[in-house]
Amino acid sequence: MDYTKQIQEIASKLFAEGKIDVFVGYRLTGFDENQVPVLIRDQKDVSQLVFNDRSVFNLVNYLKYEHTRNKRVGLVVKGCDSRSLNLLLTESQVKRDKLYVVGIACEGVVDEQGNKMQNCMECVFPDAIVADEMLGTPHEVRKYKVNADIDELASKGLVDRRVYFEEVFENCIRCNACRHSCPLCYCAKCCIDQETATLYNGANTTSGAFHALMTWSLHLAGRCVDCRNCEKACPSHLPLHLLHKWNERVIYENFQEHLAGVHEGDRGAFYKYSMQDPDDFIM
Amino acid sequence: MARVGVFVCFCGANIADFVDVPKVVEEAKRIREVKFAIDYKYMCSDPGQQQIRDAITQYRLTSIVVAACSPRMHEKTFRKALSDAGMNPYLLEVANIREHSSWVHQKDKKAATEKASDLVRMAVAKSIANEQLHEISVPVTKRALVIGGGIAGIQAALDIADARIPVVLVEKSPSIGGKMAQLDETFPTLDCSQCILTPKMVDVASHPYIELIPYAEVLELEGFVGNYKAKIRKKASYVNFKTCTGCGTCWQKCPVKVPNEYNMGIDKRKAIYTPFPQAVPNKPVIDAAHCTMLTKGKCGICAKVCEKGSIDYKMQDEIIEREIGAVVVATGYDLWDPKPYEEYGVGRFKDIITSLEFERMVSANGPTNGVPVRPSDGKVPKNVVFIKCIGSRDEAKGIEYCSKICCMYTTKHTILLHHKVHDSHAYVFYMDIRAAGKGYEEFVKKAQVDTAATYLRGRVSKIYKKGDKLIVRGEDAQIGQVVEVVADLVVLATAVIPPKDNPDLARLLGVSYDKYGYMSEAHPKLRPVETAKAGIFLAGCTQAPKDIPDTVAQASACAAKVCGIFSGDTMKKDPMISTVNNEYCTGCQNCVKVCPYGAIVTEEVPMGHGSKEMRTVAKINEGVCQGCGSCVAVCRSMAISLAGFTDLQIINEIVSI
Repeated sequence: MDYTKQIQEIASKLFAEGKIDVFVGYRLTGFDENQVPVLIRDQKDVSQLVFNDRSVFNLVNYLKYEHTRNKRVGLVVKGCDSRSLNLLLTESQVKRDKLYVVGIACEGVVDEQGNKMQNCMECVFPDAIVADEMLGTPHEVRKYKVNADIDELASKGLVDRRVYFEEVFENCIRCNACRHSCPLCYCAKCCIDQETATLYNGANTTSGAFHALMTWSLHLAGRCVDCRNCEKACPSHLPLHLLHKWNERVIYENFQEHLAGVHEGDRGAFYKYSMQDPDDFIM
Repeated sequence: MARVGVFVCFCGANIADFVDVPKVVEEAKRIREVKFAIDYKYMCSDPGQQQIRDAITQYRLTSIVVAACSPRMHEKTFRKALSDAGMNPYLLEVANIREHSSWVHQKDKKAATEKASDLVRMAVAKSIANEQLHEISVPVTKRALVIGGGIAGIQAALDIADARIPVVLVEKSPSIGGKMAQLDETFPTLDCSQCILTPKMVDVASHPYIELIPYAEVLELEGFVGNYKAKIRKKASYVNFKTCTGCGTCWQKCPVKVPNEYNMGIDKRKAIYTPFPQAVPNKPVIDAAHCTMLTKGKCGICAKVCEKGSIDYKMQDEIIEREIGAVVVATGYDLWDPKPYEEYGVGRFKDIITSLEFERMVSANGPTNGVPVRPSDGKVPKNVVFIKCIGSRDEAKGIEYCSKICCMYTTKHTILLHHKVHDSHAYVFYMDIRAAGKGYEEFVKKAQVDTAATYLRGRVSKIYKKGDKLIVRGEDAQIGQVVEVVADLVVLATAVIPPKDNPDLARLLGVSYDKYGYMSEAHPKLRPVETAKAGIFLAGCTQAPKDIPDTVAQASACAAKVCGIFSGDTMKKDPMISTVNNEYCTGCQNCVKVCPYGAIVTEEVPMGHGSKEMRTVAKINEGVCQGCGSCVAVCRSMAISLAGFTDLQIINEIVSI
């Protein structure tokens, strides 16, 4: 999977036609074969752009900051990224007519060791859902399957699961990198940082970090697209996907097989109401 | 520093029997902010309230906690007590130690006392963060919308209009009158239904304050109490009502015959028709589904014979918009279709009819000129079996509730049968005779003596045909034996059910409805005509099965409520509503989606101070917001806060225990 040439051509053409102000893509780090996001503002810098199976980051994250706001943006999205873009469109955070989206029919990306990422092996929607232009061969529809580590979580009881989570996440240093790297965490002031949110400072029964993580994961429940930007950003290497995938599974099984960002306008299980919604798993 | 006063109520024995009230007071006194705590037998009584008023001035209290019954019961009472003492009424917190403690923990006084103390602690903690709130004034459009032109809608419209308030009365069929117009005589006095109803119908049509919109339905209702906007679709009648004189030539000449709904399909009407001779307005409409001119483009006779040229085959539906301050819903009822009673041969045997069909037959203006006949051969029946509770009180086939009116109208039917066919005999299969109402029991007793009808307590298990007779096999539980009655005619008292589209209308209006489809009142005892949505009221069977006296009473009650809303140019509204903090709002509009009242819209605000760049934020319409808190729950950035239930107040509560 290497679309470096095509993406450079597309970006070059968009700049030449004056259709965009900034292009969000990937470039090499400069010291190894891994990549980092790059914002190209000039046609002459287009040659920096690359795309292959090491283009791991979800670039939709860059749509929430000032440097793209109210600008005409071109960007590259894989299947998972496009779902988060879909959610941003649904939640009125970006305007579709200001975007030029290069969609990828993604074959899956690899981690720094060159192993295929776990989320790519479980991926249900590898092809970009939102795109002005598609690169690659589209895939057939895949079936949603719960992965083994989440099955294991389910086998634990409520109390055990909580103890397990608290253990796993005790190394959290509350740097908030997860939040900043998440394309769906776009609030001007996170609820966790607000003055009235005294509960997130912890109590005798629970650590502040755990409480904050729980709140964060619930605010992403039914919205997380499993792009794993948060895990890549986490300096403590916490398995943050456990929280999100656990929620995803509960929501998939209970709310009419809901998966985040697949349909435009679908805000997710917490924000819509159906007579078929169950309530037996809440208590 | 907060100075809280705690007032714990005994509620007679209601609380004191299961909660150690003095102990609760003692516990409350230990809380740092509590400067005064006392108990009293009945806090809601005047001496009880006086203690609160006195303590406020004497101890310079900054907030008040009353530990008593549910705030639904007496929150208003105590708020007023605070007001009277010159304190902002919203500095009150009610700790519900009755419904939440004493009533539900009657077996363990110690635990109930502990819980009551906890509830008081929470209320104290919350009250410390209470803010002074002020009632909101919203302007009022003084015009009422009445949906449904049956006796409920007619009564409500007349009562409101008599108070010189304009009324828009929307009726879905071509004439007002509803089900009552189909009745012959009414229990328990056997007044002629037409004689008491039709003058009222005429009053509606001629009332200067009533705008009657027949053959129409409500499409949309948006806004809030005092300021609704209604969109009404007036169905094409294909007859210009302004020029039509109602002479009747058109329907005499019309060649198309259609089963007559007014007579339950026993006879035929024409494709251009008025539902019945006494209809209001007494102008015909064309039934577009059956008129051959409209379906096939052939005929046009009515247009030819109409001297006034009132027929207009090209007429379109018309959308009418009206500004409305309050709504009365009076959509009436339907009758349950007895098809599931297969063992009775419903649908197979022609001589099994429903009560309303019987009612039409014995009506003076009915299809058989007031004489009951067998649909199979047109003979006058001698032995008539009435079976009650068809569908009612039948969890297996019908509905669980009692339809309330069937006992009485079946009794009436035995009398009418006796009057019309002197040598007839009525048999009544019943489960119970429910005759609770003024003059009802006397009516039933007298009818039983006068008609000498045979009352058989028990269910009918089977009806089968023998020759031209129907054999009704049932149980007479009082003698414990199976009985068989040879019947010429069987009349089924089918259950009252809500109209099929009631839930749709309820959703359109934003009113809740129950599992059957009846619209729900705000409180079954204390607010039986209001809905949970302010400014929308229920009259008649749209809420539950009712007879005519109850329906009329409820309709007048609705009128009184509507007049209450319109008594001033503005109305006061509870200030416990949501507000948006624009700085935190991200404009994701989840709140807009979940708001059940449509109270949230968006607005554009500058990005920052003096900035020309704009961004979208949520905006609460304070007139519409009911303070339910749904928006608060879905707001991830915690930009929305509900006055009286702020995050700080709730967290204070949680932390206090």
